[in-house]
Amino acid sequence: MKSLLTLAGMEARAFVRDKASLTFTFLFPLVFIVLFGYLMGGTGTTSGARLAVLVGEGIEPARLVAVVSEVGLAEIVTASDPAALRQAVEGRKADFGVSWDGTTLTFVYDVRRTQENFAFEELARGIAARFDLANQGRHPLVETVAVVEGGEASANWFALVVPGILAFSILAAGLFAVAGHVTGMKQRRLLERLVVTPMRPVALLGAIVVVRLVVAFVSTLATLAVAMALFRVPFHVDWFAYAAFLLAATVGTMGLGTILALVVRQPSSAGNLANVLAMLMLFVAGIYFPIEIMPAFLRSLSQALPLRHMADAMRYVTGVMDMSALRFWVICGVFLLGGLALLPVLAHYVVRAERR
Amino acid sequence: MKDVFAVARTQLVCSLRERITLFWFLAFPLLLLCLLGLIFANVGKPQSLSFDVTVVDLDRGADGARFGAGALHALQELAGSGETGEKPLFRLREPAPGVDIERYVAEELDALRVGKRDAVVVIPAGFTAALVAAAAEAGREAAPATRIEVHTSGGRTSSGMALGIIEQIVARVDREILSQLGLYRLDQSVAVGRIDVGAADKTVAYIDFLVPGILLMGFFVAGLFSVPGTLLFGRETRVLRRYWVTPLDVPRFLGGFALGHLALCAVQFACVVALARLAFSAQVNFLQPLAWLYLVLGVVTFLAIGFLVTSLARTANAGMAIANIVNMPMMFLGGLFFPIGSVPPGLRVVLLANPVSYLADGLRASLGVSAPVFGHAASIAVPCAWIVGCVVVASFRLRWDVGK
Repeated sequence: MKSLLTLAGMEARAFVRDKASLTFTFLFPLVFIVLFGYLMGGTGTTSGARLAVLVGEGIEPARLVAVVSEVGLAEIVTASDPAALRQAVEGRKADFGVSWDGTTLTFVYDVRRTQENFAFEELARGIAARFDLANQGRHPLVETVAVVEGGEASANWFALVVPGILAFSILAAGLFAVAGHVTGMKQRRLLERLVVTPMRPVALLGAIVVVRLVVAFVSTLATLAVAMALFRVPFHVDWFAYAAFLLAATVGTMGLGTILALVVRQPSSAGNLANVLAMLMLFVAGIYFPIEIMPAFLRSLSQALPLRHMADAMRYVTGVMDMSALRFWVICGVFLLGGLALLPVLAHYVVRAERR
Repeated sequence: MKDVFAVARTQLVCSLRERITLFWFLAFPLLLLCLLGLIFANVGKPQSLSFDVTVVDLDRGADGARFGAGALHALQELAGSGETGEKPLFRLREPAPGVDIERYVAEELDALRVGKRDAVVVIPAGFTAALVAAAAEAGREAAPATRIEVHTSGGRTSSGMALGIIEQIVARVDREILSQLGLYRLDQSVAVGRIDVGAADKTVAYIDFLVPGILLMGFFVAGLFSVPGTLLFGRETRVLRRYWVTPLDVPRFLGGFALGHLALCAVQFACVVALARLAFSAQVNFLQPLAWLYLVLGVVTFLAIGFLVTSLARTANAGMAIANIVNMPMMFLGGLFFPIGSVPPGLRVVLLANPVSYLADGLRASLGVSAPVFGHAASIAVPCAWIVGCVVVASFRLRWDVGK
């Protein structure tokens, strides 16, 4: 126990002195959050959408304006002619446009907004259906009322991305922590000095886990705080589940990272391999793009990725998305037990001096 | 000249032999192209999806015509399309006869919360009676509407998508009921059209929008990481020092290095374009002088930025750290993969100063896949200004040997 504490103290000092590690651990998630928050914060929602409206000459605009006013748009921009309508959409003065010539309702989209057009098209379908009835002087007889169950009713795409990025940063740090650290110690010949002391190999890995756990807490809390303060993301954190998940995820991903430490010899190789694995998972695990829009085989593949389950669990503990308590605790259990099984077994193979 | 080609060949061969360089410069752009191509080929096409929807018709006890059955029938039609060999849009669940409805609804809502269902549709008791009353008032200005509750799961995209489709189905049923009542004429229904703008007067597939972005990303990563990687590690491991004891001087070394880098980018270009054409049927045509100008300008600009990063770092690790820090913001604020929407003024300054934005805009405009935002003059001038600025700073700060 004493050696574990001593090593943990040493690891903590080494981490604080390492500017690169500090930067990557704390700054990267924040940069991601700020960038994506500003660039894509409104993606997937239509509450802030602006619509450009053009009504042909001699046609009464009131009916169309009344219909588009009912669907909850943020702003309606009036265009004077077809060219102005195109310009409004192309120049981002409006998110999409609509023109009515008395027989055809034509919607105008900017093809460059691939990721957002899906939401605008859905809104357009609603407008078309309502206007179709209104044009014959009718109102819908049947209305659908959406009732949100579980999760966060106002959760938009960005609110789902933030916990995903947190899960990703835990994974990337966990994968790299053991492999990068141990290979670095080997390279600087520190490990060969340590292994001749009575230190048990698992104590070194335990010390790395303890320090990384504290770092993960601080880093994820800082990122959450920034997301909530800057972008008003609606998080309702279950702190007990949050702490349990962070512990399990850190131990589990570091267990996976220990497997990497078996196959790499250089710290740069460890970083590269961890980056490659994390980056591949990032795109397929539903962090940036909803899994539902992916082809079936990618959806199946994502089920096999640890990051997918980490992101879901992080969304659950932040109150963005619901899942069964059983599934959450199974995820935590698998990560924790997996890590606790891998770390001591692999410690003997990883924490040893480099053969020359 | 022979020594310039020798350096170029060394640079290219070293890059292609190194596994990690191969991954980031060749495999990663190809992988990203495949992933984004596959993911966004599906956007807005729910045909590839299947939603788990529960319908609870509480209007069963009503006498006479049951209009709730119309909505149910429309959903059942979509759920039954599997018989024709197509994937059914809905996997529909209904309570078995004699089941305790309240308990059934509670169980289904629990299943919805944890993601086992995408939507639970509840057709309320008295729906038909309310509908008849609403139909009687249909001619009036503020006619009462009859409500169908659609329960969705918060934070789940599939649930939101299912809601959108159910709303369309309900609207269709609504028109059918109005039509049956003689209150709506199908022959006078409004036609709906679509126009796509922002792509030089033609519809552009996402893959054609993506390919120029992937190419520039490849060039950007190559320039940003390969210069500090080669020069700073070469300086630290004293490989560069060995060059300086030969008759080779710095300008010729640089010429060879740039030529080798250009060859690497050409390999990248060939691989990305070939994959895009063969696997995703990309139509984008690069055989245009202006497009080549932007591609070469991109390679040179990113090479210059690589030299700037190299000159700012004292050690190889510091160089790679700086490259990593500027990589993501410049890439994402350059609109390489997705168009950039409205950003706050502070971030807009970064966007407007970012050469990647201009190169991406200029290249796409020259290829006809996107309407220009900045105009060709600005799209050429800003990267050129970056090249000049980077070269000036690098020429003052860059050390070619340890201790010099």
